[in-house]
Amino acid sequence: MSTAVAPVPRGRGGMLPLRLALRELRGGLRGFLVFIACIALGVMAIAGVGSFARSLIDGLAREGRVILGGDIAFSLIHREASAAERAFLESKGKVSSVATMRAVARAPDERSALVELKAVDRFYPLSGTLALEPARDLAGTLAERDGVFGAAADPILLARLDLPLGARVSVGTATIEIRAVVNVEPDKLAGGVGFGPRLLVSEEALRASGLLQPGSLVRWHYRLQLPRGDADDRAADAVAAEAQAKLPEAGWEVRTRANASPQLERNIERFTQFLTLVGLSALLVGGVGVANAVKSYLERKREVIATMKALGATGGRVFAVYLLQTLLLAAVGTSLGLAAGLALPFLIAATFGAIIPLPIAPSVHVGELVLATSYGLFTALAFALWPLGRAHDVPVSALYRDAVAPERRWPRGRYVALTVGVIVGLAGLAVMFAYERRIALIFVASAAGTFVALRLIAALVMAVASRLPRSRSMIVRLAVANIHRPGALTPTIVLSLGLGLALLVTVTLIDGNLRRQLNAALPERAPSLYFLDIQQSDGVRFDALVERHAPGAKLDRVPMLRGRIVSVNGTRAEDMRVPPQAAWALQGDRGITYAAAIPEGSRVVAGEWWPATYAGPPLVSLEKRIADGLGLRVGERLTVNVLGRNIDATVANLRAVDWQSLGINFVLVFSPGSFAGAPHTSIATLTHPSGGTASEDVALIKAASVALPGVTVVRVKDALEAVGGLIANLVSAVRGASVLCILSAILVLGGALAASHRNRVYEAVILKTLGATRRRLLAAYALEYLTLGAATAVFGVAAGSIAAWFVVADVMNLGFVWLPAPALAAAAAALLLTVVFGLAGTLTALSQKPAPVLRNL
Amino acid sequence: MNDTSTTVAPQPAIALRGVDLSLGRGAARVHILKDIDLHIGQGEAVGLVGPSGSGKSTLLMVMAGLERPDAGTVEVAGADLGRLSEDGLANFRGRNIGIVFQSFHLIPTMSALENVAVPLELAGVDDAFARAAHELSLVGLAERLNHYPAQLSGGEQQRVAIARALAPGPAIVVADEPTGNLDESTGGQIIDLLFTEHAARRTTLVLVTHDAALASCCDRVVRLRSGRVEAEPQKAAVP
Repeated sequence: MSTAVAPVPRGRGGMLPLRLALRELRGGLRGFLVFIACIALGVMAIAGVGSFARSLIDGLAREGRVILGGDIAFSLIHREASAAERAFLESKGKVSSVATMRAVARAPDERSALVELKAVDRFYPLSGTLALEPARDLAGTLAERDGVFGAAADPILLARLDLPLGARVSVGTATIEIRAVVNVEPDKLAGGVGFGPRLLVSEEALRASGLLQPGSLVRWHYRLQLPRGDADDRAADAVAAEAQAKLPEAGWEVRTRANASPQLERNIERFTQFLTLVGLSALLVGGVGVANAVKSYLERKREVIATMKALGATGGRVFAVYLLQTLLLAAVGTSLGLAAGLALPFLIAATFGAIIPLPIAPSVHVGELVLATSYGLFTALAFALWPLGRAHDVPVSALYRDAVAPERRWPRGRYVALTVGVIVGLAGLAVMFAYERRIALIFVASAAGTFVALRLIAALVMAVASRLPRSRSMIVRLAVANIHRPGALTPTIVLSLGLGLALLVTVTLIDGNLRRQLNAALPERAPSLYFLDIQQSDGVRFDALVERHAPGAKLDRVPMLRGRIVSVNGTRAEDMRVPPQAAWALQGDRGITYAAAIPEGSRVVAGEWWPATYAGPPLVSLEKRIADGLGLRVGERLTVNVLGRNIDATVANLRAVDWQSLGINFVLVFSPGSFAGAPHTSIATLTHPSGGTASEDVALIKAASVALPGVTVVRVKDALEAVGGLIANLVSAVRGASVLCILSAILVLGGALAASHRNRVYEAVILKTLGATRRRLLAAYALEYLTLGAATAVFGVAAGSIAAWFVVADVMNLGFVWLPAPALAAAAAALLLTVVFGLAGTLTALSQKPAPVLRNL
Repeated sequence: MNDTSTTVAPQPAIALRGVDLSLGRGAARVHILKDIDLHIGQGEAVGLVGPSGSGKSTLLMVMAGLERPDAGTVEVAGADLGRLSEDGLANFRGRNIGIVFQSFHLIPTMSALENVAVPLELAGVDDAFARAAHELSLVGLAERLNHYPAQLSGGEQQRVAIARALAPGPAIVVADEPTGNLDESTGGQIIDLLFTEHAARRTTLVLVTHDAALASCCDRVVRLRSGRVEAEPQKAAVP
């Protein structure tokens, strides 16, 4: 009947681990939902943010010509192009000139609004389409009729001044009739962020306004359309290079269509990095969930693993089988995250495309998806390899004998090395693909520090609990024992809750500090009004006017020019490699001034301030951090182009500046006489000692607009509101990404508590059998969760506060104030969450009838 | 083994010399096996009996290479198990030793066929599934190939476990209370199956049991008490 089967030879089995892994996963994904959700959430955040940013940057690149208004744009400050410069441009193609400046539009009822004035010629726009409502030709709309110039305005201006279409406003000394509303302005982005609504007028109207005075803060943009329309970018680059070579003194800023909005791109990159790090935090928090899931899965599978080993599987093969399962699960989570992430730009474009003032070009960005996938898989591996490594050494004796004393040994060296390798790879990815590597490195270091600190805290809490004297209260005894017994929830709760809470506190404190900067700090120190474009000849009249209308208020008036740093110690600005915190000083033009005495709010930290009577060659005083970033020391040389003239100055001293005073201060302060003969204007701030009232401000604005129509007055509150609106949008985006982190943390916490549910039921049933009431058990569990939550909350608040301090003080260069209310609210929320989550699971355990459970033990 | 006679005694299937084993740590450490010397011949059927805690199962696991002794040597099928690495032991088991457990230890996510195929797959056999199906038909489960363990009765599960142990054609089969979780009638069928296959395949069979009927089927019974081997009667009744 039976036939002997010949012994089998040893052989290969390359695909065997995969086959076994797939068989193992037949049981379904139960127990892995937290694992998959955690990876999916993190990957979704990273893929979504990356894809959206890439869609924006692609959109900017594709629309570069339209955004720039031509193939190349040459921008000058204060002055128009000279005849030679204009002739050079016209020799290269079709030229359109546009002038932009900040001005005040006054309604007949004396209400006024800050506007971004844009004066265009008859060729505007060279690229793209301007959409007006009612639709009519631009030249007709802007033409002069009976001494009144036409204009097209942003609808916000009409709303702000409560004017109908066809109403008239005064700008400087010109009367302007608003004949159309601007619906689409193709080159809007090239100008950067504006503080007021657009008012589009003709160049003639601008000249008639009297605002074009020597030294006025006007920018002239010359857009050049190359003859061969869509010629490649090299042609544009060649013309740009030729312009710089032939007209080196022009001091213009040159942009080509391939680089239409570098500032915006940089900001998108920087913000993307920040959001990616938040996404990565979500992944790291989720990683704890991965580790928990893998650990408890392998514990459930101990018997299967032991059986496989009894049947001849080596430890390495067992590891491979479970590693493959982990990778398959991670792939499921990653795919879900990728699907959601890559849909995000399409979703945003479809839903908000019409109202977002940015050209979104949604498409599938393989690079971003590969990066997000790598983050997802690396995170899963980083957290899973350790427990997987332990599976190698599951003893076969588990099949016939319970462990006498469970040993928690380290996995073998190769698995430890593999884990370290993957963690280093993950950190490497985060740093390598970061826009600012320093920030990424700090993130990696703090993430590692937080993990280590949380493990230590968990160990400390357990050690303290195990050494506590035996309490007389059974409730306390039970709670304390639960905190330190083998297999306690302490490490899991501390890790998942601690990470989530630290992040919540960080975001809350950053948010709170930004709001505080914008609101709370203002009344005492900030000026109420800024005045721009005060002509030198009007200075005395202006001072008298302010003295008459705001007696007792503090007026600071300083000369103001705009200039570009062209070289540092002989090295051209564009050839310099400068760290990001100083790079902005080289980007575009900067406000500069000259002064005989040290400006208020500054102090000299290196070198000497020049004598009040100094009349020698130009000297310059630099803000210390910018000087450090540019590698400039006292005695070295800096060249600045002002009004088409390069001025060489020697660095006389470095200053520390208190920017938060919102008073007038400059990165570059020159010695008097440095700009002799250069026409310029002044800017002024007015500070009311008692804060001032809106009616006082309005009265002064009215008087100034009548007496000095060329002066632009900005209410600080209005300007800050505009900035505040922008920051609020950014904070909402960060908050949105952080929600994913918090969600991950809640998932991990919930998963960990659910995993312990079986033990809790067992424990509760035994204790109930022995006479414990439900109330006493509930009290003991509540005390346990409360203690763990409190210990974690202390750490979370501390770590979050340090991180927020770093971001606010170091990255944003703002003053940091610890705000107890939001920090403590976050801690209380976390505490509540732990107790409620914990008890919710425990309640069901307590309601179990002992008999059925005992029968199945 | 210092036999100097002219006829060479056949090499034993299992030879234990001075085997000593303690488990646990610190205060929980228990001395389980004490200076065990035991030889089991090729093709022999040996029953290990003794009271609970006497070290029977542990001794069986030492013979199967699942537990390493603290002292002494274990030779199985001519190989000194002490010289094999952890992975070497796993490979050795896969080729030479079939194990049957009291609690069957089938893998719940695999069908009967897949469970039996696992050791063949691990050994790299090409027609693992055909051979597994054949083994299952030999234990009377040709109709249950695609059933999962949860869909099989206890007796059927133990048959699958026996088929799995025998599938790679091991020289030695060890069984730890193979009828312990079964009723008397089913246990009887399993005993029949084990001994029929033992005879047909000429394997060495070592089993731990409390079951007198099962022990009486063995060629020899080895009695353990407090970790030591008591005198070995040729064929003894179980206490």
